[in-house]
Amino acid sequence: MIDEDVNNEAADEDEDDIVLAELPDGELVEQMHDDLYDGLKEEIAEGTQILLDRGWSAEKVLNEALVEGMRIVGVDFRDGILFVPEVLLSANAMKGGMELLRPLLAETGVKPVGKMVIGTVKGDIHDIGKNLVAMMMEGAGFEVVDIGINNDVDAYLAALEEHKPDILGMSALLTTTMPYMKVVIDEMVKQGIRDDYIVLVGGAPLNEEFGQAVGADGYCRDAAQAAEMGPQLLKERREGVGA
Amino acid sequence: MSSRPRRKRGAGREAKRAARQKASAEVSAWIDRKIPYFEVLDEEALELIEHNADTVLEEIGVEFREFPRALELWREAGADVDGERVRFPRGLCRSIIQASAPREFTQHARNPARSVRIGGDRTVLVPAYGSPFVRDLDQGRRYAKIEDFRNFVKLAYMSPGLHHSGGTVCEPVDLPVNKRHFDMVYSHIRYSDKPFMGSVTHPERARDTIEMAKLVFGNDFVEQNAVITSLINANSPLTFDDTMLGSATVYAEHNQATVISPFLLAGAMSPVTVAGTVTQILAEALAGMAYVQLVRPGAPVVFGTFAAAVSMQSGAPTFGTPEPSLILYATAALARRLGVPFRSGGGLCASKVPDAQAAYEAANTLQTSALAGVNFMLHTAGWLEGGLSMSYEKFIMDADQASIIGVMLQGIDLSENGQALDALREVGPGAHFLGASHTQANFERAFYRSIVADNNSFEQWEQDGSLDAAQRANAIWKRMLQEYEAPTLDPAVDEALLAYMERRKLEFEDRDY
Repeated sequence: MIDEDVNNEAADEDEDDIVLAELPDGELVEQMHDDLYDGLKEEIAEGTQILLDRGWSAEKVLNEALVEGMRIVGVDFRDGILFVPEVLLSANAMKGGMELLRPLLAETGVKPVGKMVIGTVKGDIHDIGKNLVAMMMEGAGFEVVDIGINNDVDAYLAALEEHKPDILGMSALLTTTMPYMKVVIDEMVKQGIRDDYIVLVGGAPLNEEFGQAVGADGYCRDAAQAAEMGPQLLKERREGVGA
Repeated sequence: MSSRPRRKRGAGREAKRAARQKASAEVSAWIDRKIPYFEVLDEEALELIEHNADTVLEEIGVEFREFPRALELWREAGADVDGERVRFPRGLCRSIIQASAPREFTQHARNPARSVRIGGDRTVLVPAYGSPFVRDLDQGRRYAKIEDFRNFVKLAYMSPGLHHSGGTVCEPVDLPVNKRHFDMVYSHIRYSDKPFMGSVTHPERARDTIEMAKLVFGNDFVEQNAVITSLINANSPLTFDDTMLGSATVYAEHNQATVISPFLLAGAMSPVTVAGTVTQILAEALAGMAYVQLVRPGAPVVFGTFAAAVSMQSGAPTFGTPEPSLILYATAALARRLGVPFRSGGGLCASKVPDAQAAYEAANTLQTSALAGVNFMLHTAGWLEGGLSMSYEKFIMDADQASIIGVMLQGIDLSENGQALDALREVGPGAHFLGASHTQANFERAFYRSIVADNNSFEQWEQDGSLDAAQRANAIWKRMLQEYEAPTLDPAVDEALLAYMERRKLEFEDRDY
């Protein structure tokens, strides 16, 4: 534990200075939430290592420090407090921690928060929104496999087969390309694999009704909402399976 | 383990939230224009208008009604005075103005950081003026009270896009006509530290305005510097009345600025054509501004213009229509040629509520005024219903537009950072700029962020209550008034102002005229 005197000494010297290694666990985690918020990658890596050195499990660091921090980022992104370039920095900072945690998580066999395959549909090369969703999902602790743009049914199915994700995300910007989502989902139904995945769809010309009509599990109006809905649906599914 | 000292506390969520609550607009005392003027007439056409205005002044003349002093001054200056009609030799008014009227001047605010420079390549944005009614979404349309007046002074003080506190931001009809000027001037001084306009409804009230200003700025300072800019309307066509002349004379004698404004509803108070109306405006403004220079050479004068078109169907004034915009562009060019500051424009509209009509009409005039090169833009915020009503919600919407004008007139940043070649190199084909380091360094100030507009997804907007612009503005002005904090005012000055008002109010009976 942290020596009280050391703490006081530091406080006397300059009460504004922060030394991560000197913070007790609770304060360190809060500080990491702030550092994620401010997009400080080095500090996040440092904080992650300190918690691991103190005997925290990789899973606990992931959930309490990183995912919770990114949840706050997501909320403020949704509310217009944080801007896109700042959220990109936050996601990048999160990666600083994930690089340390990922091998440990794999080693200990801890189930990841979730895995997602994402890509824009055939004929559609507009990928900025899709990239934002991928970034926010990574922020939520997901492993994201981005299969890029202009994906036909075969490309989606191959990615599902190869990566075995929990969630499939499809995006389109054009009214002429968005119906292709139904082509993909219909094919999944036909092959009897539709219910193996949560399917999320998004893109400017979509709405809730469209999402339902093509047979998706959810329509996400923006990246922040995708990062809320994805984990939520996955949690419900896992609880449903467990019950 | 690294234990290097780190950045200070206070970052993170709390700090960001606090920072983002603030308006994104940069606060500056006025706008420095860096783009060209939009011209609709060439040199030859402008000379034609000037020639015609001189013809009007020479042949028809201007009446200076019930104000013998003006007639004396004009006689001495070499004009032909026939009863109250004054006819001017060609070029007389122009030469009087150009001999002594400043091309630009500073109107001092009690907070020096808020002092405004009026004229040249500068634009000062000023709230609307003169409405008897106020309107908001909760209480509808009603006669304005002094409480409303104070509210609009506070809102203008808090609006970064507005540089001036204005004058009669609404008419406080709950106070006696002959005493309300005390409370109006006091409100500008007490609740804001931006520059303000003085009373013009009687020469005595102009004097009170100056006396109160002296309590704030000191006697000598007021005599040497402009601390009040006041609105003197011509009684168009081609007439100045004793009330306006009396107030203009008082202000000029004390070296205070006046805006000499032909007020034209074209078709009723001027010819139905653009060229004819512009000619009349120039003639009236020349006569009025020259008169001010005769009273005190060097007293700041502003070439004012308020021009709307009258509906030939009903006789009602209309706003945001193309012809008055053309009038405005032409008149601004004439003022520049004359070499005096120019006042016009604002968020003018005829709509009764802050709806699409209000927004379109106001936007037309605001943009015209900005591109034309208006130096003193009265009526920038709040105007509704042809000026009969001052709207709380539209005030917020217009003040947002005022900030937009501030950005627009700054033109294009051609610095190395502005050229952004680094960003283009960094991102290259097919990727996006959202995470580029150039974006990271610039995004916060890169684009104007409206405080009123909703740019969210349909679903988010619906979740937030499906509010339209006026409803959002309603929440904004209420929050602003709740958060308002008065600028500091020396308690001794405050006491002196209150004592002056109390003494003066006891010197005569309340009257409603």
